[in-house]
Amino acid sequence: MTMTESPPAPAVAESAPGPSAAHGLYDWLSTTDHKRIARLWVFASMVLLVAVAALGLFVGLERAEPATAGFFGGDNSYFQMWTLYRLGLVLLVVMPLFIGLATLVVPMQVGSTNIAFPRAAQVAVWSFLVGAGITIVSVLAGGGWGALDGVTGDEADAIALTLVGTGMVIVALLIAAICIATTVVSLRTPGMNLMRVPLFAWSMLVASAVWLLTLPVAIANLVLMYVDLRGGPLVFGDPESSGAIYGQIAWLVEQPQIYAFAIPVLGVIGSVVPAYAKVRHADHTLMVAMVGLFGFVSIGGWSQPYFFDSTEDVVFVAFGVLAVVPVAAALGISLLTLLRGGKPAERPPAHLHGAVAAAVLLFGGVVSGALRVIAPLDLGGTSAITGVFNLVLFSSVAAALTGVWFWSPKISGGLVSSEDARISLLTLLTGATLLGVADVVAGFYDAPDFLITDSGSDVIDPLLTASAAGGFIIAAGMIYALGGFLVSLRSANSSAGDNPWDGQSLEWATTSPPSQGNFAEAPARVVSEAPLLDLADVGNDEEET
Amino acid sequence: MALTTTALTAPVTRRPRTTLVGAMFASGAAMMVYFGLLGIYAHRRAEASFAGQDWFPEGSIELGPPGFIFWTLILSVFTVQWAVQAIKNDDRTNAMWAMAITALFGVAVFNQLWFIINDIGYALADGEAQFFFFVINGTFIVFLIIAVAFLALTMLRALLGLYGPRQSDGIAAAAMFWNTVVAMWSITWYVIYITK
Repeated sequence: MTMTESPPAPAVAESAPGPSAAHGLYDWLSTTDHKRIARLWVFASMVLLVAVAALGLFVGLERAEPATAGFFGGDNSYFQMWTLYRLGLVLLVVMPLFIGLATLVVPMQVGSTNIAFPRAAQVAVWSFLVGAGITIVSVLAGGGWGALDGVTGDEADAIALTLVGTGMVIVALLIAAICIATTVVSLRTPGMNLMRVPLFAWSMLVASAVWLLTLPVAIANLVLMYVDLRGGPLVFGDPESSGAIYGQIAWLVEQPQIYAFAIPVLGVIGSVVPAYAKVRHADHTLMVAMVGLFGFVSIGGWSQPYFFDSTEDVVFVAFGVLAVVPVAAALGISLLTLLRGGKPAERPPAHLHGAVAAAVLLFGGVVSGALRVIAPLDLGGTSAITGVFNLVLFSSVAAALTGVWFWSPKISGGLVSSEDARISLLTLLTGATLLGVADVVAGFYDAPDFLITDSGSDVIDPLLTASAAGGFIIAAGMIYALGGFLVSLRSANSSAGDNPWDGQSLEWATTSPPSQGNFAEAPARVVSEAPLLDLADVGNDEEET
Repeated sequence: MALTTTALTAPVTRRPRTTLVGAMFASGAAMMVYFGLLGIYAHRRAEASFAGQDWFPEGSIELGPPGFIFWTLILSVFTVQWAVQAIKNDDRTNAMWAMAITALFGVAVFNQLWFIINDIGYALADGEAQFFFFVINGTFIVFLIIAVAFLALTMLRALLGLYGPRQSDGIAAAAMFWNTVVAMWSITWYVIYITK
């Protein structure tokens, strides 16, 4: 490996307060430091994760026992909460969690002093919080994404407000995605071409590009529905048309679009595994290609009801089956990397377990997704859709939490307790497997995707009960995870060390927590995807000579 | 084999074209919003046509005013690129003139489109075609206003001396977004007005 020491002048504002300084509300509102913006994203989305997981539990219980549970006081409310759970898990939890992690890590990984457009990043996080608040409050006020059994005038207003809140959330997420993608494209340190970008940063670039290509189509849907509801001929925004409003944006939470929210899972796994194995990735180039391919097969804006009619469409089937390939290949390369690294003496850290859990869930999700698109199995419209949704999205949650634990020294300066992390992970893996697999299996017995009456089946009912139990385990685990994260934040500056995991990319060349401007001096010219490993190689060679 | 050397000269630090790259992503996203609307429009119109239903009322869509808008915007493509080229040549006077004329074209387009919307005599709830007419043209107006505002902000920054031959990406970014808006109208002109 070749390494040159020719850094350009550092652009560090040393006089600015470090992350440990006390911050007032105004500071949080006006901050342009990417690390503090990232903390806002991560904290908000973890709180929302607990709320959505709890909601998922109640939805699961209602679904298992629709005749007796009665949590929501009617089919309409149940439908609103069912849709809130689905869209909330995507838009209020998974996307902001990954965006938070990326806002923190990506600028450091590419050797930048800050994120691109820091003011836009700041506007994005606050717009997201306002949008999320509007969405949740309007749903609780009787809004949501349509109704099943008629609406009053006030509820129509609340539905309109939900559409506004959803649009605001999506716009905020897209602004943040632009900041992240631009950082990767234009703020890389000298020598770091796109093939040398660390895998998490690369996965976020691919994910951001896919989100920017597809989520605007959902905004178009929302605009049509809102204007129609507010004075149109009620073709698109008829709130009484049995959930038709949700039907127009359901493609966001179904195949193939659902995979777009799991692209960074491969990036997290690709960051954690080489750090543990203490070797380079077995095939970084192939990993980069597989992340790109996974991004390609997750482009789903075309799969809404206006653009295609049948789930037997050849492109739909091809995308569903092809999604298995990049995931299997990426996981295979990661396994090879682990084997190359031999067996380190110490006990594997919690984040390695997290990566394994995310990998298992994602692989289960894409395989279930491939089964779901095979026409002779006839899984369309069944609970298998919910199964794929839960497996894929909880793999994303597992990966995001893994990222939070892995990069916690850069978030707070402290480390999340490994035991806490393992317990959270174990509950997440167990709960999500139960939740997802039970729904997929129930799909083979024709359990409908949205159930408002008892199925009356001796097979489906126990499966739905098992699914609800999975929801309970997840909710408990996520409360535990949030507690661990808060303790970690409180232990800020209980120095975890700058590079406690022997990470290979540039974020580990910063202090924990990183100072304002990230790097004391600009990083040396990068010549591979693992610059810190290069540096170690240089040191070893000098010792030998 | 690992090797460390300090003998090489420092790498030439390229100016990160952050604004231009960000504008590229934003333009792509804006275009996808528009494509989403037009895609749904085309699908619904095809369904109506297949069912033998009328779409727009016969004779209600005139070709003249939307055509004026199209050709005005085509002219503006030249003026906005004139601004980019002028700033690259360190010709600030021409750059300012070019941006001002482009913004003026934008205002003229807004005026013409406002005239079309008022003149056509549709109401939002008249039917699906009329509804789409207002939504798509309204969305275009929103993007046009954003493009004019972006251009005005860029002009202000140029007046403050923030752009020059080595730092022209702000003006190039504004030009890119402007051209995206022109592309939007070009498609709208064909899909809504020409093919009706």
